[in-house]
Amino acid sequence: MSMRRRIALAAGAALCIGLLAVPALGGGAVSIRAVWMEYDARYNTFWQQLKKDFEAANPGITVDTVIVPWSEGHDRLVTWIAGNQAPDLAIVGTRWILEFNKMGVVEPVDTFMPKAFTHKFIGPALEARIGGRLYGVPVALSARALYYRSDLIKTPPRTWQEMLAVAQRVAKPGSLYGIGVSGKKFAELTEYVYYLYGNGGDFFVTNPDGSYGRCRVNDAAGVEALQFMTDLVNKYKVTEPNVAENDRGTLQDLFLAGKLAMIETGPWFGGMIQERAKSLPFAVAPMPHNQGKPQHTLLVTDSIIVFKSAKHKDAVAKFLEFAYNDRHRLEFDKDFGMLPVVKTVARNAYFQTPFYRPFIEQLPTAKPWPLVAEWSKVEDVMWDAVTSALLRAKSPRQALTDACREIDQARGVK
Amino acid sequence: MRLSAQERLAYPLLVPAAALIGALILYPIGATIVTAFATTDKLGRIVGVAGWRNFQALAADPAFWQIFRRTFVWTAIAVAVKTTAGLAFALLLNLPFHGRRAVRLLTVIPWALPYPISAMIWQWTYNSQFGLLNRFLQATGLWPHPPAWLASPGSAFAANLIVDIWIGLPFFALVFLAGLQAISPEYHEAAAIDGAGAAARFAAVTLPFLRPVIVMASLLSVIWTFNDFSVPYIVTKGGPINTTDILVTHLYKTAFQFLDFGPASAIAIITFLTLLAFSLLYARLYFREVG
Repeated sequence: MSMRRRIALAAGAALCIGLLAVPALGGGAVSIRAVWMEYDARYNTFWQQLKKDFEAANPGITVDTVIVPWSEGHDRLVTWIAGNQAPDLAIVGTRWILEFNKMGVVEPVDTFMPKAFTHKFIGPALEARIGGRLYGVPVALSARALYYRSDLIKTPPRTWQEMLAVAQRVAKPGSLYGIGVSGKKFAELTEYVYYLYGNGGDFFVTNPDGSYGRCRVNDAAGVEALQFMTDLVNKYKVTEPNVAENDRGTLQDLFLAGKLAMIETGPWFGGMIQERAKSLPFAVAPMPHNQGKPQHTLLVTDSIIVFKSAKHKDAVAKFLEFAYNDRHRLEFDKDFGMLPVVKTVARNAYFQTPFYRPFIEQLPTAKPWPLVAEWSKVEDVMWDAVTSALLRAKSPRQALTDACREIDQARGVK
Repeated sequence: MRLSAQERLAYPLLVPAAALIGALILYPIGATIVTAFATTDKLGRIVGVAGWRNFQALAADPAFWQIFRRTFVWTAIAVAVKTTAGLAFALLLNLPFHGRRAVRLLTVIPWALPYPISAMIWQWTYNSQFGLLNRFLQATGLWPHPPAWLASPGSAFAANLIVDIWIGLPFFALVFLAGLQAISPEYHEAAAIDGAGAAARFAAVTLPFLRPVIVMASLLSVIWTFNDFSVPYIVTKGGPINTTDILVTHLYKTAFQFLDFGPASAIAIITFLTLLAFSLLYARLYFREVG
């Protein structure tokens, strides 16, 4: 090869590399990048369809969609944000918003969305309203309830005591377990929170100004809740035997396989049963609570947040307006098994059924996760405490006392 | 010194590679070292000087020491088993038998699969309700009431070890097999003529010839096993109660779950120095062998 040809070749190679970079510089069309989370769904075509419909109605704007599983969502977003690669908008657990807000990356929605837009939503859905600003648009709302096998259980239990009695009556060692309890880390602290809230307990002391103070899961209500879970597992043995192996997902699989008589989970599970175990007879009831204590279940919202770094807020606003029409909202709630967040959709006949009634009836007294910036640390510590007690590595009191010490230290609270 | 035109051309051609190495290897290492001595915000941006505080906090944390020790136990057991079992495998594969080619090919499979996929397959296999393993043990009557492997700390740790070994074994088997085939049969024949039995030939011929290969392969394996993220993170997520966490999974959680980038960088430095010390020790051993 002659020298000249080599230089030409090198120049050609350099040009090719340069050309690869060109699309990143962007052409005329506006593009917005959205990160959606993967729900326990029957179908996962919703976001693609929404993108198609939106792009057809808004020529000149394209939506790049990335779908991430919930269990990886938080860490993936953090990595993108840290690498200055934040998307324009993303679904997050509302409980993460304070953390992201502390990073200074969240644009309050009310700065660029009209008032009429924020008035669309039902009250309990607006969990992301913090200090008078709305930091996220509610996208999914769920309350948790008790699913039970209606062929085995005629009257659903209302209290823990009734639930234990029912579990003892129906459980058949090895083939059918009374009630599911999970001890494997998951994207949320499932089960313990149901017992904590159902016993009048809470994660933190609320300061007079409404902020969260000391950890209080080691008080009487918190300890009693974990003691009851531990007793279900170890004393009465009415749960599946391998609790530390299961998370919410595999517990749901156990119920679908006909091996669990009762499970505590959210409205999406109804669709999953219809899809994967059509013949399984089941019904839904409000979350049981400790006798003599008020009934509270967990209410969870997910929100769409818009990042400060989003270049085309007008295009994002157009997209949000479009995505929150009743047709797409109803489709979302149907596909992903969520409760309605939009008032007009809540009135739809679809939600006026025996299946949805227990979920919707619980909303007025349901309690959300506490919003603290250090939530992912708190949740991890709590998981370890719960699992330690379930595996009898520590007593419930010891586990929760240790957890509170670690949580207060991590949050810098004395 | 006058360079020819061809030699001068070499420099611009080196630039892309040098830039990539600088950007993808040198810069992150430098940034990690700096961050380890800094306080950061939740995005990892440096906001202050921490001095040795990140390291002191780790040193004072009993959980960290527990994970540190566990990482050594994890690495020691896994590498020891992989080395001995790998050698046994290689010796078997080196024997002439019918279908040897097929068996050699099958041996590669665990190594050829992507780590995360192997880890996921094993997670399902271990599942006590639906998994293949317990079903097999029960159906064959080998173990009528097998434990839920991933549900308690001890068995979960062992289960993770087995997966790591399963994935890493073929590498040893193949490298040792190549080493075995490089030993000229004449040495064995000569030893046999001198009256050496199989065991004596193994000790006097096979092992000495294989030593450099064994040292090199186990060094690589120490580094890979010490840093094996996929297996504990996917099979048990470090649980139950963090009892299967090793340094890398702990590092990941500290950085990307809790967003404590200063302490996470300190863990990275400790991991790096530990492995560097290992490697230097091994390199001395290796070059003494070869030299």
